[in-house]
Amino acid sequence: MANYSVTNGSTTGGGTQQNMATAYVGALIGLTCPSAAPRRFKIYDVLIGTNGTPADNFIEWDISRVTASSTTTIVTPMPLDQADAASLTVATVNSSTHGTITGNSNVFYVGVNQRASYRWVAAPGGELVAPATSSAGFQLRTRSGGYTGTATGTLHYQDQ
Amino acid sequence: MRNAGGYAYTFDVGGIRQEADTFTCAHCNSIVIVKPKCDPCDLGGMCRLCDKMICATCVDLGRCDPMEKKLEREEARYRALRSYGM
Repeated sequence: MANYSVTNGSTTGGGTQQNMATAYVGALIGLTCPSAAPRRFKIYDVLIGTNGTPADNFIEWDISRVTASSTTTIVTPMPLDQADAASLTVATVNSSTHGTITGNSNVFYVGVNQRASYRWVAAPGGELVAPATSSAGFQLRTRSGGYTGTATGTLHYQDQ
Repeated sequence: MRNAGGYAYTFDVGGIRQEADTFTCAHCNSIVIVKPKCDPCDLGGMCRLCDKMICATCVDLGRCDPMEKKLEREEARYRALRSYGM
């Protein structure tokens, strides 16, 4: 079971980071099972922050389940061990619209000051698990009542 | 808490780091942040059937429906639909 990292950083082919709004409009990062031969995956590490001009605003961060990925830039997740094969999970970043969100399915929700960064890491057994069904997965989204800049996120996950 | 299901770190303004234990609800997979000196009743509870920590929302439901069973149901439904060509 290999571990992978995906970020919405400005890497080649990573699309353009989207500005935040008062409602959830886009998704920083989306992870979904492939439509052919889906496999479970587990998110075990979440790192979030902002890269705009520092100010005191609140930002709400949310990870919800999706049943369909957004149509946006697909990136290749980085294996944490370079000897591992490419990930089977589909990773999308910097989406201006989010995918099909499952109602009442937010598994991670936290409000953080814009100046702060936040990290959650799971102990073994505490990971966020996606079912092995086509296009099922998670999306990391943000919204803010005061901040209108861009945000950064990193997800580490494990293919099963 | 003993045997925390995860940890949360905030790197606050001025570089101050705050830490909190978390646990992942065994029924709905949501992450619950354990605030320092929080009343245990506010966090959720322990399911006596699956013997795992669950969130306050799942405590209110009053039944044991573990996440693993939900995933298996969803995957079985997906496999059935695929076998029908749907």
